Amino acid sequence: MVTQQMLLAATIVLPLVGGVALSFIPKARASLARPCALVLSGIVLAIAAWLWASFDGSLAGIHYELKVPWIAGLGTSFHIGVDGLSLPLLFLTALLTFVAVIASRSIKDRERQYFTLMLMLEAGLCGVFVALDLILFYLFWEVVLIPMYFLISIWGGPRRSYAAVKFFLYTLAGSLAMLGGIIALYLATGAKTFDMLEVALLASHLTAGIQTAIFAAIAVGLAVKVPIFPLHTWLPDAHVEAPTAVSVLLAGVLLKMGGYGFLRLGPEMLPKGFSAAAPVIAVLAVISIVYGAALALVQTDLKRLVAYSSVSHMGYVMLGIAAGTAASVTGATVQMFSHGLIAGLLFLLVGAVYERAHTREISAFGGIAKIAPVLAGTLVFASFASLGLPGMSGFVGEFMVLAGSLQRFTGLTVVAAAAVILTVSYLLWMLRRVTFGPLNQARLGMADMTASEALSMAPLCVLIVVVGVFPETLVGVMHASVNAIASVLGH
Amino acid sequence: MGSTAAAFTYLWPEIIVALTGGLILIADLIWPAPAGDGRSRAWLAYLGVAGLLAAAMATVPDIGVTKTLFGGIIVVDSLSAFFSFLFLGIGALTLLLSVHAVPKFTRWIAEFYALVVWCTLGHMLLASTGELFTIFITLQLTSLPLIVLIGYAKLDPKSGEAALKYLLLVLVSTAVLIYGMSLVYGSLGTSTISEIGAKLATSHDIGTVLAIGLVLLLTGFAFKITAAPFHYWVPDTYEGAPTPVTAFMSVGSKFAGFALALRIIVEGLKVPLNWHLIFGVMAALSMTVGNLGAIRQTNIKRMLAYSGIAQAGYLLVGVAALSSAGVASVLFYAVAYALANLAAFGVVITVANATGSTEIKSYAGLAKRAPLVGLACAIALLSLGGLPLMAGFMAKFYVFLSAARSGLVWLVAIGVVNSVISLYYYLRVIYEVYVREGETESLFVDRPAALAMSLCIAGVLALGVFPDYALRAANFAASALFR
Repeated sequence: MVTQQMLLAATIVLPLVGGVALSFIPKARASLARPCALVLSGIVLAIAAWLWASFDGSLAGIHYELKVPWIAGLGTSFHIGVDGLSLPLLFLTALLTFVAVIASRSIKDRERQYFTLMLMLEAGLCGVFVALDLILFYLFWEVVLIPMYFLISIWGGPRRSYAAVKFFLYTLAGSLAMLGGIIALYLATGAKTFDMLEVALLASHLTAGIQTAIFAAIAVGLAVKVPIFPLHTWLPDAHVEAPTAVSVLLAGVLLKMGGYGFLRLGPEMLPKGFSAAAPVIAVLAVISIVYGAALALVQTDLKRLVAYSSVSHMGYVMLGIAAGTAASVTGATVQMFSHGLIAGLLFLLVGAVYERAHTREISAFGGIAKIAPVLAGTLVFASFASLGLPGMSGFVGEFMVLAGSLQRFTGLTVVAAAAVILTVSYLLWMLRRVTFGPLNQARLGMADMTASEALSMAPLCVLIVVVGVFPETLVGVMHASVNAIASVLGH
Repeated sequence: MGSTAAAFTYLWPEIIVALTGGLILIADLIWPAPAGDGRSRAWLAYLGVAGLLAAAMATVPDIGVTKTLFGGIIVVDSLSAFFSFLFLGIGALTLLLSVHAVPKFTRWIAEFYALVVWCTLGHMLLASTGELFTIFITLQLTSLPLIVLIGYAKLDPKSGEAALKYLLLVLVSTAVLIYGMSLVYGSLGTSTISEIGAKLATSHDIGTVLAIGLVLLLTGFAFKITAAPFHYWVPDTYEGAPTPVTAFMSVGSKFAGFALALRIIVEGLKVPLNWHLIFGVMAALSMTVGNLGAIRQTNIKRMLAYSGIAQAGYLLVGVAALSSAGVASVLFYAVAYALANLAAFGVVITVANATGSTEIKSYAGLAKRAPLVGLACAIALLSLGGLPLMAGFMAKFYVFLSAARSGLVWLVAIGVVNSVISLYYYLRVIYEVYVREGETESLFVDRPAALAMSLCIAGVLALGVFPDYALRAANFAASALFR
């Protein structure tokens, strides 16, 4: 359908063009930037929701495919489309950007540039999730770096310059390895095309050795983004120094680029390489789960705790992807979606707390449930969602990952399941020190949640419960795509 | 081959450029400037730009032509046409960037413009010479004006020092070059490049003397293209020269060297040396030395000088591929680099005009003092670093792709690592521009420089998003070499 193809393209073009247009708002009217950004990201969200509503998950393959010639000399075209794996992430991007714009109320310094960059970020992220051409995919992948660098380094915390450069160079080094892999893939197939669907047809016949080498190069780039241990060290710095709304996008969407990349470039394109690498990925994933959780346990800074919990939670995603069964891949995708909601919510809460107390030290809080019940209640809600309480989205994702992976990696899955104890520990211990117990006198007079904060958090809370109670709304769209992957891998 | 008179019709672009230089000087004599008013000479620069544009129009008929003139001395083909467009563009942009900068350091403005124009003529001729001794003479046509231009800021001792260093460099590299030429001529008995190629292709036994001659020839060019390990003159010369001159030679003179080298390399390839390795090592060395050197710099001109050495390395990666696609990637890279680098130097000139400083520190707060200049700075540097949506990415991608196609995976790996290093120091400047607080008073940006920067940035973005036409043009020009 032509209209839906156009709408899909609009998720990239609209924020890009609109974002650039924002920067031309006259200086005297700079305060208009946020409402404009809100409208633009709202439209993108509406488009993503509409695309989801009209999506038929029982049909395999690519939906809303659009292919426009672009660089004929290189065999690359502007080829976009969505399937059951990318659609939820496209929606997540649109939702979290909208939430992030709402949550950027306190940005007063150079606000036009801020919202321009945020919308450019959205365009890049949408592009990554809909691209069906390797060059286009890489292009958007890299484009995400530029607004992110500026958002952290201009509006970030005290060590922002260090964090931004570290983030930038880490991911750049990874993505250049990925570019090397893409070039190798292009030369190995010899078909002079970068089109993912065409490459997938040709590349799956390459020998296992070549596939493994190519996939290894690509996987390095993806693993940095996820991040998988030991390539995760950029994450805590970047998350802690980024302003609240940017942390939301960083944890909520950027990390998913990596997980999504593994699914898009792995099983169907390089099945033998993927299968060969799967045990390694699974081991590293479980290390990430345990290591991330253990580090979260000892953090004294609230934001760092949430950051390390992301490392741990993304480990479940990677375990599910590596296992490659229908259930585990479904679980991994649900976990990505769910972690986007939960981590987004947690970062919003940490931001709200920081704005009031001007500190994120856990020891500086205590008993805030007594004076700010709604804020504290939401924190409890988010933490329970994060530790995988049944009835919330986190449970669905983790349970499916563990259930689906058990037959493939029994020992590792048992370890991963046991690590849930660590997750419960650091979250409950954090709650005990922050929300309950005697009121810390320094926090006396701390205000409760404002309407604007509630507005930004409400959609996330609602969706966490919806996915938790009616997982089929999310799982339904990905059936066909997931089954295709599982059958290629033969599980 | 037609008569001599007919041959001259192919040289219209060169003739127009030569006349333009003279016209600027004569116009200056007829309508002298009111005493002490350097700004009133701007129209002479515009006259130069008009002349170069006219020459570009006259180059159009040369596209697709393959003509050997005057017994092989001059070759007119798509490759020379491609480089002519490039050099004319570089010359015109340099003139625009000079309008407000030049009166700050000299009274002899018309002569400055004329020298830039004539130097451009030398670059154009270098791209179409087909004979060793013509190359020698044409090289002098580019070097001599450049020595004068580098030392143009008479009152600045650094400028004089830079000119002297460049003079010494020219002497040494010319000596190496002419020694190489004499060895090649002595071995083969011909100085025409196409005949050299023909003889190399048929002779089975390549003597040591000839091999040494060819290597010496390439060494001579390596100086010109600022490749390591022949780069030691670059930082001091680039820093000392007046900034518009640095901008001009950082691209013009470098690509003239490449234009020349490409013609000889394609013929020289017939000698069974491991050319992949020779150019590969030179490329790896240039990238690494340039990027590591740039990290430590605190002066932006020195930083861009080292970055230029590294960029020469990336260009050499394409050369090392030794294929038509490799040459095409070099051509595309040249255009992308010229646009981004001239934009970057436009920023340097604008800041130096206003603050008198070329220290990176003085860029603090630039984004607030002049938002568009700050943006131009960011786009230019990110393009130099090879980030997508900008020409630099497509250029690097194409160069790496063609090298990988020729099996130079190790070289691509080194290039990739170097790209990461380079972004470190480009980001440092962007950090000053956007993040660090500095003076807030708004910065004066003169119109001609703003025009030049806008054109460059528009080009960088256009090539980054829609590279297809330029890629096709580059492939077409490269195919002229591999007939």
